[in-house]
Amino acid sequence: MLTNWINTHLLSILVFAPVLWGAFLLCFPERQAPLVKLLALLGALGIFAVAVFQMFHLTPDPTGVFLAEHHPWFSVVGLPVDYHVALDGLNFWLVLLTVFIVPLTLLGTWNSLKQRAGAAIALFLMLEGAILGALLSQDLLLFYLFWEAMLPPMYFLIGIWGGADRKYAANKFLLFTLAGSLLWLVALLYIASKAGSFAPVLMTQAALALPFKTQCTLFLAFALAFAIKVPLFPLHTWLPDAHTEAPTAGSVILAGVLLKLGGYGLLRFAVPIFPAAALHYAQPLAILSVIAIVYGALVAMVQSDIKKLVAYSSVSHMGFVVLGVASMTVVGTQGAIFQMLNHGISTGALFLLVGMLYDRAHTRQIADFGGVAKRMPIFTFFFLVVTLSSIGLPLTNGFVGEFLILNGTYTSGFGWGRAIAIVATLGVLLGAVYLLWMVKRVFWGPENPREDSGTAHLHSDLNAREIAVMIPIVVLIFWMGLHHRTFTAHSEAPVIKLLSEAKAPAARPAPLAHAPEAAPHRQPEEAH
Amino acid sequence: MLTTSELAVILPLAIPAAAACLLPIASLDRDQETVKWIRGSMFAIALFALAGSFLYVTRLWGTRMQPSFGQVHLDFLAQLAAIFILVTAALAVLQLWDHLHQEGWVKGETLSLLMFSVTGMLVFTATTNLIVIFLGLELLSVPLYALTATVRQRADALEGGMKYFITGAVASACFLMGSVLLYGMTGSFEIIEIGRKLSTHPDTLALAGAALVLVGFLFKVSGVPFHQWTPDAYEASPHPIAGFMSVATKGAAFIVLLRMFPAGLSASPDMALKFKAALAIAAALTMIVGNLTALAQSSVKRMLAYSSISHAGYLLLGLVAGTQDAYVGMLYYLFAYMAMNMGAFGLLTALGLVGDRCGFEHLRGLGWKRPGLGIAATLCMFSLAGIPPTGGFYGKYMIFKELIQTGHVGLAVLGVLASLVSVYFYLRVVVALFLEKPTEAAEREAAERPEVVAPYAGATVLVCGFLVVAIGFAQTLMVDGFALRAIKDSLHFMP
Repeated sequence: MLTNWINTHLLSILVFAPVLWGAFLLCFPERQAPLVKLLALLGALGIFAVAVFQMFHLTPDPTGVFLAEHHPWFSVVGLPVDYHVALDGLNFWLVLLTVFIVPLTLLGTWNSLKQRAGAAIALFLMLEGAILGALLSQDLLLFYLFWEAMLPPMYFLIGIWGGADRKYAANKFLLFTLAGSLLWLVALLYIASKAGSFAPVLMTQAALALPFKTQCTLFLAFALAFAIKVPLFPLHTWLPDAHTEAPTAGSVILAGVLLKLGGYGLLRFAVPIFPAAALHYAQPLAILSVIAIVYGALVAMVQSDIKKLVAYSSVSHMGFVVLGVASMTVVGTQGAIFQMLNHGISTGALFLLVGMLYDRAHTRQIADFGGVAKRMPIFTFFFLVVTLSSIGLPLTNGFVGEFLILNGTYTSGFGWGRAIAIVATLGVLLGAVYLLWMVKRVFWGPENPREDSGTAHLHSDLNAREIAVMIPIVVLIFWMGLHHRTFTAHSEAPVIKLLSEAKAPAARPAPLAHAPEAAPHRQPEEAH
Repeated sequence: MLTTSELAVILPLAIPAAAACLLPIASLDRDQETVKWIRGSMFAIALFALAGSFLYVTRLWGTRMQPSFGQVHLDFLAQLAAIFILVTAALAVLQLWDHLHQEGWVKGETLSLLMFSVTGMLVFTATTNLIVIFLGLELLSVPLYALTATVRQRADALEGGMKYFITGAVASACFLMGSVLLYGMTGSFEIIEIGRKLSTHPDTLALAGAALVLVGFLFKVSGVPFHQWTPDAYEASPHPIAGFMSVATKGAAFIVLLRMFPAGLSASPDMALKFKAALAIAAALTMIVGNLTALAQSSVKRMLAYSSISHAGYLLLGLVAGTQDAYVGMLYYLFAYMAMNMGAFGLLTALGLVGDRCGFEHLRGLGWKRPGLGIAATLCMFSLAGIPPTGGFYGKYMIFKELIQTGHVGLAVLGVLASLVSVYFYLRVVVALFLEKPTEAAEREAAERPEVVAPYAGATVLVCGFLVVAIGFAQTLMVDGFALRAIKDSLHFMP
């Protein structure tokens, strides 16, 4: 009876259980923080267990949907909005990634928060629910609501528990994201009022009937919101601030899953609804993502703060995700989804590790370290493995994602594909440079001679709890690197379907009606 | 003798009016022994009057009757407006108890004036006759002029009251002059009749009259460029009165505009085009000026004043869209606005920030000291900023959606950009409450002051915090159950 109910309502449980559990934990007084931590961890583990045990029993129906819940929700003044959540190949692993990262983060940052830890953890769980809601939503207004619901918890996590400049970073984060999403809301309402619904399928049909110029404007509004979230150059400036100021848990969830929503939204909604415009703007998107890859890497190279370096590496790595989507090939898109998982695990783990270092040394400046390897060998081992996976060493997950994306871009058939793939490969190379250089300065060499240096404060290596956090991550890094089919099999069919529909002639504007605009995706110079 | 139906119209108006007449008697008592009891019973009388009228109107709503008496029609729109006004007034009375005690200025006439103003609003929203509208307008405005300056020991209270009085008088004069011109050219005071005449004989003088009437309304809703009185008047008045003015006066004026604008002023397509263009410009200016000026304020109360100006802009957009669904959205928005704005003004009272202690710096760190209040106020701020899933978001959603469907995409973009700007200054309150630590001077001062006791104001803030979320989640009930009925049955102009 109960299992049956859990089976049918699994998705709603995943979304609302963390929110309700977080709201419940918010009611505890501050002195109960240890109890709150324990309850939160148990809750997060429970959600993870439910997800893992239930999701692998499922088999997809012919349309590729594993599980769905669909009820009409409200229909105020005309447009119907549905509560429609579904688990399919595109979001399967992202959902798992989210429920996987949350308990790890809670355990990994167990002692990091000193003040008002209970409230922070409650907000953290609410954030998890909002992210899962956004990942699972199939109705665009529902998606929008969850998308916005992610902002307040993250805002408070940065703003209350952040570093010295936290107010600025929190405001910047919120205003940047809102700027994109509000303009997107206008576009959303426009296309929804044409379609008479918020269902993506009906929107696709409605978009076909619109003039090509309108489609392009709407696509740009969609893409803007998602590009800010990714974040794509030149809209990335909020990210380093947010990452640097956020507490470790906030950084991990931000890098681990929140940014993924940008790439996911682009893939799930922007491209299928406006396929012609997506093809039209594939080149500018690809160019911007290549700039993000190279620029992010170059800026990361000159950072003096380890966390900021990792933040800029995020910009670089997420550039690959957008590049994969812009390649409009099955391989590239698969690579983009894979890279989202990668980045979630590798960069999330890097932030966790930097947090562990910071908890001991109370500094993140590279210059304050040196010779850490001698004092913390286990930590150094884990840091090196994660760094190498972030660089994209073969056998680790990073390699698979970047290879698929570069492959997809190179073979995309676009005139610019090869050139861009070659430049992006340079980005991979730069990634090795800045990360290894940082590792060299922090871990190797003689111990920092200053008495107040960061290294001097390192008295203990990782404890059992921290090792327990890192082991599943390392296992995943190699699993994803050695047997990527586990992770790409689910999304293959939906990606093929999505791209064949997007590239089908029916999706393009009729050449007669829009003769001047129909050609440009072959002559992209006109786009500027 | 009055018939039952006529009595049904009179009673909800008469109850607050009777209370208004009764209350000044209570303030005659000067005996120190009994003054506490007298004060308590004054507030109890006011609340009972509001509750009685509220119960009566809700029963009437339940019976689906629309009684009328002479020119006063208690139709569905008027009933909904009455519910809106009475609830707002009740929240204001509860907050006033705490506020006036904090200021040390508890006088009988304050509540009496408030009750008169409520009566005026009830008349104002329950008629389609220009003369009766004017009567209602004066009955609601004149007590408010006095209420603004009610704490007359403060010099700036008198200044603000005077400003409000003079500008308000100009607005009334504009309205009256416009009505006279309309009557002169059409021979009628009835809105629908005027609309019919104007659509067949669009006369320049009559159009000028209509424009003057519109100016009068823009004054009352504090639309740019007739908004200058707003911050000073709000700053002068006690917080609950400022909240009441910003919610009830604006709301009542918008509800009357809903009667006047579609039926009277845009009866023909040509006139609709002209007046909608004018309103679109006013709405755009209101949003821009309101939000940008609010950015620069250092006092929470002045920020809220400019924010209330900007909300008038969003509401005006509903009139520009001009569809039935847009009007429904406006009514919904008004209810959400009531909860969030009364909550925002109530927060100041509940935290004991009266007089000139209304700066953002006085809020610092108080969210952690009073977490319940802090969370409720945060919800109100998020709602004001239009962040889902609060009522403020759905209100904007409904209005912007209709705006886009009627082809005003540019205005919709301007609207969302304006609300993006507004997020920043609403967040300043949240930042001060939760993200900042109190300054040492503030902590020292707080230690010297007696503990703030404001149970009723605090309770209203909690209720408002609950309401903004509840209104957000109950959007279907609010729209289908209430707003749609009021709009559909009361406005006969819609096809």
